[in-house]
Amino acid sequence: MKLNLILFSLLIIFALVKINAHHLYRVNYHSLEIEKRKTIELKDEQNQLLIQESSKSGNGRISEYAKSKLKMNPPVKKQKKTIK
Amino acid sequence: MRKKIKKNHEFFELSKFRRRFMLLVLLTLFFILFSRAFFIQGMQKDFLQQEGFERSNRNIELYAYRGKIYDRNNQILAASETVRSITLEPNRVKFKNGDKKKLANLLGIKIKSLNKKLKTKKNHIYLKRKVDPEIASKILALKISGISTEKDYRRSYPDQEISAHVVGFAGNDGNGLEGVEYKKNDYLSGTHGYKKILIDARRRVVDNLSEVRVPVDGKDVHLTIDKRLQHIAFQSLKKTINDSEAISGSAILIDSKTGEILTMVNYPSFNPNERMRKRSPFVKNRVITDAFEPGSTLKPISIAAALEKKVVSVNTKIDTGNGFYKVGRTQITDTKPHGIISVKEILQTSSNIGVTKIAEKLSKKYLWQTYSNFGIGNLTGVNFPGESKGVMRDYSLWKERDHFSASYGYSVSTTIAQLARAYTPFANKGEIKNLRLYKGDPIKIGQRVLSIKTSEAVLKIMESVTEEGGTAIQASIPGYRVAGKTGTARQFIKGVGYGKPGERKYNASFVGIAPASNPKFIMAITIEDPSKGSNYGGVVAGPIFRRVVSEALKIYSIPQDGIEIEAEIDNDKKEI
Repeated sequence: MKLNLILFSLLIIFALVKINAHHLYRVNYHSLEIEKRKTIELKDEQNQLLIQESSKSGNGRISEYAKSKLKMNPPVKKQKKTIK
Repeated sequence: MRKKIKKNHEFFELSKFRRRFMLLVLLTLFFILFSRAFFIQGMQKDFLQQEGFERSNRNIELYAYRGKIYDRNNQILAASETVRSITLEPNRVKFKNGDKKKLANLLGIKIKSLNKKLKTKKNHIYLKRKVDPEIASKILALKISGISTEKDYRRSYPDQEISAHVVGFAGNDGNGLEGVEYKKNDYLSGTHGYKKILIDARRRVVDNLSEVRVPVDGKDVHLTIDKRLQHIAFQSLKKTINDSEAISGSAILIDSKTGEILTMVNYPSFNPNERMRKRSPFVKNRVITDAFEPGSTLKPISIAAALEKKVVSVNTKIDTGNGFYKVGRTQITDTKPHGIISVKEILQTSSNIGVTKIAEKLSKKYLWQTYSNFGIGNLTGVNFPGESKGVMRDYSLWKERDHFSASYGYSVSTTIAQLARAYTPFANKGEIKNLRLYKGDPIKIGQRVLSIKTSEAVLKIMESVTEEGGTAIQASIPGYRVAGKTGTARQFIKGVGYGKPGERKYNASFVGIAPASNPKFIMAITIEDPSKGSNYGGVVAGPIFRRVVSEALKIYSIPQDGIEIEAEIDNDKKEI
């Protein structure tokens, strides 16, 4: 009778452990999914930033800013001197 | 006092009828329970399992990124960016006052068009695809039931119209439709995957049931294009075309030693980020797809053929007369009379009569074979969609007139890319190089088409073209020795021919090599019908060469010719 009671208790404990392990697995899997989503979001953001960087560092934009804001202009023929 | 203790049977003693009735009730209940269980487990098993799966299982798409396109310095030319697509469930949609107008304004569509979409009988439609995330946020802020957003990807081209012809563009579905996007579509596009997941009551993903297909991202493509030079070439071309009121223009700059294409530009161009791009008549990469009669830019090859065959030398004198020469019924003219001039001066002054008299000494077959060896009428190896071979009929089909007109660039047609390639033997001691646009492609060994002596002689003669007395002094670059050849070819218009004087249209072109002392760059430019000011190749296309190549020489730190000589002298002194 006592042995049966012990075995029954063990059965209940193991069943609870299994349920708990499964629950923990699901919680962790959910966290992993969140991290994966973040990775994709970061990848998208990186792409976005690369495109932005490429647009903003474009030669056309730089030369436009140089001309309009810094008043820089390429030298004309008379202003050039060739060192020989 | 002693209490009277009741016996057990006295508490639970029921009448026989009651006992049987309760038993019947319990049995009936158990029967109903088992029947229901049997019905659910046995009869409706598949249906209920299906319902259960639908509530807890989801198929989710795993997006595969389309590869990026880079220039030679790892600068982005094309990449995918995140956008939103606005979706509509017509059955659920409910508008509050003024929301419909706000939504139409945000989407940039008319209310009439929105109403039409609302009347659709489908459960789920796209109101607008690939909307900027900021606009999507504003739409969601309206809190209209039945309207939601989905994540989507859009191809973005930061270089806009500058590299549009090279990079091309992709459609709404992400597949390439033009340029490199089209040619390398299989390489760029990955394979989308999807997996089956389990969600709980709070719609959280809690398990992976099976990974049905693993996503494979597309690979990146690295081009040989230099974005910095591409910009300079585009701006120069644009300025020239606007100043000379020309129809269009194209230019290509290549590394003469490797055949790598550094710039490939056309003007007018189009913005690949705009949706109406497909309708633009200027979508084709005309550097590769459009063939034209190259005119005098073909003369160095004709002269190289004669020098190689040893029918003339650089100093052989040829009488070009008074600027008019009749071959059969064809009148050949020069822009002005040159009299008796050397082979070098023939090229320097671009004398048609001089080259014709040289071509008279060569057979049709030999001349045709030389052009063919220089890549005229052949593909350049660039591996770009829609490449034209140009037109060069077999020599057996040449009439007498074609024999001579081919020597000064008529009766044959080439693309501007072919023309640039045809000048590689002059820059590589007689070896022709294939053109390369993709960095990953192997470099092919050049094929010898000329002797070293002849190629050096022609290069030396071509230097005189950009010197005082030459036709392209505008292409000279201070501090560097430049070789080149101009071309001002009459356009052949179907049904009209070359036109009467005053009504003619011209293609002004120039092909140059710099520095001539140790060639690094070859640039070919053509301008279609410059109508304001001069229409000569040297005057119109020469300055583009000067602007672009002088920047290229600076960017690639190519030593000036004078400095190089001085440095060599210093080294010699040290050795002594």
